[in-house]
Amino acid sequence: MAANTLRLYLTCIRNTLEAAMCLQNFPCQEVERHNKPEVELKTSPELLLNSVIICRNEAERCLIETSINSLRISLKVKQADELENILTKKFLRFLSMRAEAFQVLRRKPVQGYDISFLVTNYHCEEMQKHKLIDFIVQFMEDIDKEISELKLSVNTRGRLVATEFLKQFI
Amino acid sequence: MASEHVEADNAEAIITRIEHKSRKIESLLKQNKPVEALKTALEGPPPKTKDERCKSANWIAVHRAIMAIKDLDSLFFALDPEYYDILMKYLYRGLSTGDRPTCDQCLRIHERLTEKAGLGCILRSLADTVNTV
Repeated sequence: MAANTLRLYLTCIRNTLEAAMCLQNFPCQEVERHNKPEVELKTSPELLLNSVIICRNEAERCLIETSINSLRISLKVKQADELENILTKKFLRFLSMRAEAFQVLRRKPVQGYDISFLVTNYHCEEMQKHKLIDFIVQFMEDIDKEISELKLSVNTRGRLVATEFLKQFI
Repeated sequence: MASEHVEADNAEAIITRIEHKSRKIESLLKQNKPVEALKTALEGPPPKTKDERCKSANWIAVHRAIMAIKDLDSLFFALDPEYYDILMKYLYRGLSTGDRPTCDQCLRIHERLTEKAGLGCILRSLADTVNTV
């Protein structure tokens, strides 16, 4: 059942991204010779499309905002307990700090979300659209696995350390 | 000033119409006709109004009809294509609520609706900033 909703959630996001990723070059209207991602500035409402929030449940959601030359995808990852909270924050901060390597990653997540992507028309020109979407959907699948693995390893290590430490008191 | 009064009157009239519609929807659901109920819910003027109360009232009616749908095949068999766009807009509104059963149902219908109506339907719901639900 959970696997099915995950599949539906990812399919919905994939379809929405395929429809929303229609980006073209658009020089800035206000300042000469400038070319800015309009979705970040939000100065001209005629350049922005409706933003959509796709929720899987109360904890997981995805915000997709599109404009004429850029697209912003923000994800909120499921965090079941305090430990997952800390792990998610640290792991995603680690990735965000290396945003240059990912190209489409944003250095700071949007307020209220855990991680954000910014795709511009230049990315769409250099890279294939369906591969970009594959990357983002794959990222969402892998994040869950990674966090579970991290949590497991933290718990295992904690147990080992505690066992070793308490052995001296037996 | 005058246009605001007209807006207010229209809003009251629209809300009364929505209430009529809700009653019709309830009776259709009792007769086990969820598809007709959804069709009734999707018809009507609310997308043309800017008043939040009208939109919320209509959303509640549509939500009721959407949650009552069990069989997706019969839904798409009976629903005319002219309703696809407006259904897509309401699905996105449902997905933004975050309520688990609503989101489950909306995700299920979204997948089938995209297969039927294509990506154009999604893009129209994103691009239409004038008639929002």
